[in-house]
Amino acid sequence: MKERPTAQKPREGDQDSRREVAVALTGITKRFGEFAVVDDLNLEIWEGEFFSLLGPSGCGKTTTLRMIAGFENPTEGVISVAGEPVRGVPPYRRPVNTVFQSYAIFPHLNVFDNVAFGLRRARVPKDEIQRRVVEACEMVQLTGFEKRRSAQLSGGQQQRVALARALINRPKVLLLDEPLGALDLKLRKELQLELRNLQHEVGITFVYVTHDQEEALTMSDRIAVMNEGKVQQIADPSTLYELPKNHFVANFIGQINLFSGELESVDGGRVTLRSGEGIKIEALVRNGDTPEIGEQVQAAVRPEKIRFGETGENVCSVGVRQIVYLGVSTQYITEFADGTRLVLYQQNAHDSVGPEVGEQVNVSWDANHCLILGG
Amino acid sequence: MGEKGRGWNLGLAGLLTPVTIWLGLFFLIPLLLILAYSFGTSGVYGGITLGFNPGNYLKVFDPLYLQIIGRTFFIAALTTLLCLALGYPLAYFIVFKGYRRRNLLILLVMVPFWTSLLIRAYSWVVILSGNGIANKFLQFIGVTDEPLTLIFTPEAVLMGMVYSYLPFMILPLYASLEKFDTRLKEAAKDLGASRWQTFWRVTFPLSMPGVIAGSILVFIPSAGEFVIPQLLGGSRTVMTGTLIQTQFGAARDWAFGSALSVMLAVLLLAAILFYVRRVGTDKLEGM
Ligand SMILES: Nc1ncnc2c1ncn2[C@@H]1O[C@H](COP(=O)(O)OP(=O)(O)OP(=O)(O)O)[C@@H](O)[C@H]1O
Ligand SMILES: [Mg+2]
Repeated sequence: MKERPTAQKPREGDQDSRREVAVALTGITKRFGEFAVVDDLNLEIWEGEFFSLLGPSGCGKTTTLRMIAGFENPTEGVISVAGEPVRGVPPYRRPVNTVFQSYAIFPHLNVFDNVAFGLRRARVPKDEIQRRVVEACEMVQLTGFEKRRSAQLSGGQQQRVALARALINRPKVLLLDEPLGALDLKLRKELQLELRNLQHEVGITFVYVTHDQEEALTMSDRIAVMNEGKVQQIADPSTLYELPKNHFVANFIGQINLFSGELESVDGGRVTLRSGEGIKIEALVRNGDTPEIGEQVQAAVRPEKIRFGETGENVCSVGVRQIVYLGVSTQYITEFADGTRLVLYQQNAHDSVGPEVGEQVNVSWDANHCLILGG
Repeated sequence: MGEKGRGWNLGLAGLLTPVTIWLGLFFLIPLLLILAYSFGTSGVYGGITLGFNPGNYLKVFDPLYLQIIGRTFFIAALTTLLCLALGYPLAYFIVFKGYRRRNLLILLVMVPFWTSLLIRAYSWVVILSGNGIANKFLQFIGVTDEPLTLIFTPEAVLMGMVYSYLPFMILPLYASLEKFDTRLKEAAKDLGASRWQTFWRVTFPLSMPGVIAGSILVFIPSAGEFVIPQLLGGSRTVMTGTLIQTQFGAARDWAFGSALSVMLAVLLLAAILFYVRRVGTDKLEGM
């Protein structure tokens, strides 16, 4: 069981010195013309890690990946792979392989020849190629498809070919650019687990690009959330979810309720703010943040941390406006007197009876679950 | 699929009728005529008596004519090869480095078509003749004192043919390279292929349909060409096309001319089938 992170004991920034750095990006900026697509990016990706780059469309994820692969050169900064700076090293000499979003399967070659492509370029002996291709096809469950061309494969099968074709070279780092983007939801979920297991099996560092927050949370050891070319936060999934650094991260990962207000008191990691909704909210401050009394801040609380009743430090009265049944849980959309929304989830446990639409109810949450966001 | 397919076929048949009639009238009937003539007997003053006379075909095997046919195929093959060697880099350049100017560049490739082949061939005569521009230039820069024999050589014919048919090679190459997904090049490089390996393992095989189409488009008219060999080859570099033309013209031996035509067509067909089998089918299927 993973311990749930708290503000007092953050995981991020944890310098795990035992681990080797597989990829290091230092001060990376990439400009196309005047426009900085990637802006002063600093990342350390550890060996054997499943690392995700997560962010909305156009935030520079693919560009970052292409710089690691060697298809683009950074305007500024240094990229190192396995400790070696790689500036000027062409893609075919870098110890990395890529699974492209479009798969880019060679249409004139069959599955076997596609998978064998990298080994043939490396002049691996014939019988070893034969053995390793068979092995790789087995690993991604493509046995029996060796003679097929890409046109005769489904999307999921093409994805596996792309994966086998890259993994067979035993790269130091495998780059994956939204490899599941083109697949339907069910297959995606299946392949997410498969990919994760595969990564554990082979122990290769994965750098995984996605704009799907759920996917990133399910699969990654650590995630870098990006927006407009800048890293917003780097952390493991639960820290990212429980302790988002700022408004953008909080909103991008899952749903969140935000309260703006002025700080009334500060006591170590604990603060009180007077929110616009006319309520007093007790909240936590992230380690290292030092807000001051009188400052305008935002407090955030996840919908599932709020419950009906008066059992937490923060209690307020809201009117129920809408109830959405979601199967596992029920979503209640409620409003304060001034019309500000508050969303909460209740698990659909057997004996729970919730309020009705139109009712005025008290809701509450713990100060521990309410976080002051940074800028 | 079945019923719908049938409906389609009816509509398609309607659309295909005009072209069928057109080809039937102007291609099939003349072809059959030539076939009939090739077994006929030519009169002394022209004219032809139909019948079954294999003599015309036996005459083709005269070493004199065999040599001409051999030369024809050799020059046509060399023309095709040179067009490919010259045209591929150009098509590649236009597609991958032409950027926004692609369309303009490919239009420029077609510029020679705006003038008739005859006029262009004559301008080559002017350039290559004894006191033509080429010789004057060579004398001027001191390569030679006496005018060189540039015209009426196999080289002159080759030069003229490559010049004339180069666009037929470039256009299909351009068309097939244009469809090429450049991400495949990145994938190849990512998997450890150098630029050279990427070209030979990925780009070139995937442009094979263009190479095949271009080769056929150049080879067939080259083998049948009669204007260029006549003007630039003279009597020393006779090609089959010229020979056939002479039979229908000055020699008035339509029967032998027809037999030569049929032989040429059969040999061309065989050559192309062989070529497509050897280089083609596998790669064509892969598309
Ligand atoms: N070669 C280029 N020239 C100019 N602008 C580019 C180039 N490549 C990317 N960009 C721009 O850089 C920005 C980031 O692109 P990038 O492909 O890295 O986004 P992304 O995060 O991968 O997005 P998505 O999730 O949609 O794939 C975009 O605004 C894009 O238009
Ligand atoms: Mg992208």
